[in-house]
This record gives sequence, C-alpha cells and structure tokens, in this order.
Amino acid sequence: MKNVFAVALGILTAIGGFLDIGDLVTNAVVGSRFGLALAWVVPVGVLGICLFANMAGRVAAVSGRATFEIIRERLGPRAAAANLGASFFINLMTVTAEIGGVALALQLASDVGPRLWMPVAAFGVWIVIWRVRFSIMENVTGLLGLCLIVFAVAVFLLAPEWSGLTHQAVAPVIPETESAATYWYFAIALFGAAMTPYEVFFFSSGAVEERWTVKDLGTSRLNVLVGFPLGGILSVAIAACAAIVLLPAGIEVTSLSQVVTPVVAAGGKLALAFVIVGILAATFGAALETTLSSGYTLAQFLGWAWGKFRRPAEAARFHVVMMVTLLVGTAVLFTGIDPILVTEYSVVFSAIALPLTYLPILIVANDPGYMGEHVNGAGTNVLASAYLVIILAASLAAIPLMIVTGAGQ
Amino acid sequence: MNASSNTFPDAPRQRGRLLDARLHLLDRQMLDDRGVPVGIVDDLELSADAFGDIATGARSPRVTGLVSGHVVATRILGGQPPPSRLQTIPWRLVAAIGTVVRLRQTDMSFDALWVEHWLRDHVVARIPGGRHAAK
Repeated sequence: MKNVFAVALGILTAIGGFLDIGDLVTNAVVGSRFGLALAWVVPVGVLGICLFANMAGRVAAVSGRATFEIIRERLGPRAAAANLGASFFINLMTVTAEIGGVALALQLASDVGPRLWMPVAAFGVWIVIWRVRFSIMENVTGLLGLCLIVFAVAVFLLAPEWSGLTHQAVAPVIPETESAATYWYFAIALFGAAMTPYEVFFFSSGAVEERWTVKDLGTSRLNVLVGFPLGGILSVAIAACAAIVLLPAGIEVTSLSQVVTPVVAAGGKLALAFVIVGILAATFGAALETTLSSGYTLAQFLGWAWGKFRRPAEAARFHVVMMVTLLVGTAVLFTGIDPILVTEYSVVFSAIALPLTYLPILIVANDPGYMGEHVNGAGTNVLASAYLVIILAASLAAIPLMIVTGAGQ
Repeated sequence: MNASSNTFPDAPRQRGRLLDARLHLLDRQMLDDRGVPVGIVDDLELSADAFGDIATGARSPRVTGLVSGHVVATRILGGQPPPSRLQTIPWRLVAAIGTVVRLRQTDMSFDALWVEHWLRDHVVARIPGGRHAAK
C-alpha cells in the first residue's frame, strides 16, 4: 500500500513538475498563432525528455555520479568548461524567467506590480532551498502544479468544434499569415520547452539527493514514463485553449494574462483561482529546480560538496552560488526586461545547448565501467541515436532560423 | 625499426585491474573517508625515476601520488600553475578507485578546501539555519 502511494505521488509530482513558465508561454504563443498545427512537437519532445531523464536517472542511481561530474570526467576540463559555460548561462536565463513567472502570477492574484513581487519571489525560493527538505519541496510544488489541469477542463468547457481541432493537429497546415521559417522556429522552441537541460541536471542530481539505488529504478522509470506524457497532454491543452479563443480573435500572446484568458472565458473566477495557483506552483517549483541546477552544475564541475542532503554549512560554496544566481536573476529582471521575452529566448537556447549534455550521458549510459550490467539495451540505443539526430538538427537549425525570422516575429 | 628487430623486453604481465590514467584517474572526484568531496584529481605525481632515460631492467616508474588544487584555470587555458596551488595526496592514502577515488582516514588537511571553509565561517554559518539540516 505504501508502495502504491509512493508511485502515485511520484507520478502526480512528475505531471505537475513537467510544466514550467517555458511550457506555459510557448504553448500559448504557438496555439494563438498556429492553432494545433504544431501539436505534434509535444509528443516528440516528451518522448525525448522521458528517454533523456531516464538515462540520466539510471546513470546517477547506478554509478552515484550526477551529470556534470560525468561530463567533466569524460570530456576533460576544457570541453566541459565550454559546456558548463553554455549550460550555466541558459540555466541563469531560465532562473530569471521562472522568478519573473512567479512575480507575474502573484501580480495576477493581487494587482500589485511584478517589480514588488520579484524580490519576494527570489527570497521565497532561497528560503525554501535553505530550509525545506528535498522530498517535501518536490511533492508540494508538484501536487499544487496539478491545478493546471484546469487548462484541460477549460478545453471541454469551451465546447470547441472537435473535428476541426483534431484536423488541425493530425493534418498540420502552416497558416497563411505565417512563413515556413517561423513555423519551424516555433517547432524548435516547443521542443526546447519540453526538453530543457535543467530538467536533466535536476533529475540526475535529485537521484543522488534522494539516494536512489538500482532498486529504485523501476519506480523512477514509471514516474517519468507516466508523469511526463500526462504533463505533455496539459501542454497540448494550453495550446488548444489558445487555439480556440485567441487564434480566431487574432490576439497574440505577449503577457501571462493572455495565457489565462481562455481559462477565464471557460470557467470564470473559480477557474482563474485554480490557474493562478497552478501557475504559481509550476513556476515556483521550476524556479527551485533551476536555482538548484545552477549550484549542482558548478559544484559538480569543480568537485565541491553539494546537495540539500548536506547542511548548508557543509556545502558552503554550493549555497553561495545559488544565492548569487538568485541575486543576478532578480537584478536582470529589475532592468525592466520582459520575463515573457526572456522565456521565449530561454527555450530556444535550451534546444541549442541540448546536444552538449545529451551526448556525454548517452556515452556513459553505455559504459560498463560506470553502469555494470545496467548499460542501455539495444532498443533504448536505437531510439536514443534517433533522438541524437533530432537534437542535433534542432540545435543547428535554431540560430539560422532565429536570425531569418527575427526570433519568430 | 621493424618488428623482428624489436629488442624491447616484453611488457609486464598484467595482474589485477588495468587503470587508464586519463580515463580512470584524471578529473575524478576524491572523497574522504566520511564521503565528503575534497577535490578533483588534476594531475598525477610519478616517482623520480620516471624522468629522463630509464635504464634497462630498472624498476618501472610508479604513481606516487594524486595532485589536486585550484588549477582549473591553467588546465583549461594551459600554462604552469604556481606550485603553491597544488597539493599532493600520497598514493598510500588511496583506499579505492571506482566511479570516485576514495581516500583513507587521515589527519592531512586539504588545501583546496580553504575557500569552502572561509565561506562557511564568514557567510553560510552566520545566516540563521545555516548549521542545521533542512526540515
């Protein structure tokens, strides 16, 4: 019975934890501009993150080594430092976007401007990292994030014309108002939103934090394989809401209030309350994960003590890095930069940097020196190699497309 | 020189595990006997006979220690770090080599930890809750 409960809790946490500000914004933007013509990208991204997170989790559970320790061991300090530079920068962008997301969600709830909420959000993130145990932190934000199911409910309440909606998704056509370049640019953005590298840093370091062993692999696999696809369904629901309400009205998503407009149209104040709690939990949870990831990546690269399982005083450099990250993220937001814009760029840069972390994990997952009998099976390797091609193609195409389309304008 | 005129002695027979210095030692995490990270293997120290010509039949050079320190900058950019930044951990302190290098119990203080200790004493431990485990 305890096991069933643990599995259910893990799955629910994975659903709530899958969505962050990147998924919320990108799916709404795409839905409002392309309808469901890009819905096929979400399952591609979800399968990719299942595969990647599963490999990284297995490597961490079997060898006890988290992602960046392995990247340094395998690539040497020079290539790993270049890798760290890119990963850390993108992670910092994501931290900034998530803190901005928390502030915007609090603004929706309170009508107090986001600038007043930003330091509050950053302080909240810090105090949770400082004082709250890893498992509680994960479960509370994950479970509250389930409030985002209201997006799926809203799709039904809006009573759309189902045949038209499925036709958009099954036989995708690029709308006349959009070019092929913007279509593929947003395909990469959606892919990057589903497969953000921080999820993998966090997942593999989390496996070490929670002291996973080979015995826990089954549970972790189930959490990922059930939880992430259900999270992906919520992603599509966000896009569908935007496609039903915003696309016909010709509204482009440039703020968080537009993301929630369809939900309010469908369910009124009650739905708004749910969606605000959901967005707050999802962005706050992701802010915790990205802030921790900044500490994890740097500490693992430089061989410092890290982890929430240690007292802060036993991992001093790790905690100082996270404090500095939060301060820098908040400072960037105070320049008046639009958090939604930071989010849109961060998901594309995530796609660009993805091969840097994917390839070393794929190699180590096949190394018996680390993995013993738990190396990748043939099926996993075929799928993982196919994804290597997709990830490389997305990464290489992203910058040219960003230039050609003016970042999707 | 072709194969038939090769006068080198046979390579020593391998007993036990073969370690590749680059793959299995360099850039590995070192943990002390309590499992606390103390640094990363940045270099290896070889016995003095490893340098210059090695006489036939002489004892083969050996790894005498692991070298660690705040040298990530010179390892990335090249160049020679000042010797004061490096610390040698004698090989006899190595307890096990696996996915990490485990060290035996020792009174030795690890120089690489001074930043950690400074930040602990001056920043982290002074913030309320810094010395307690999370709840």
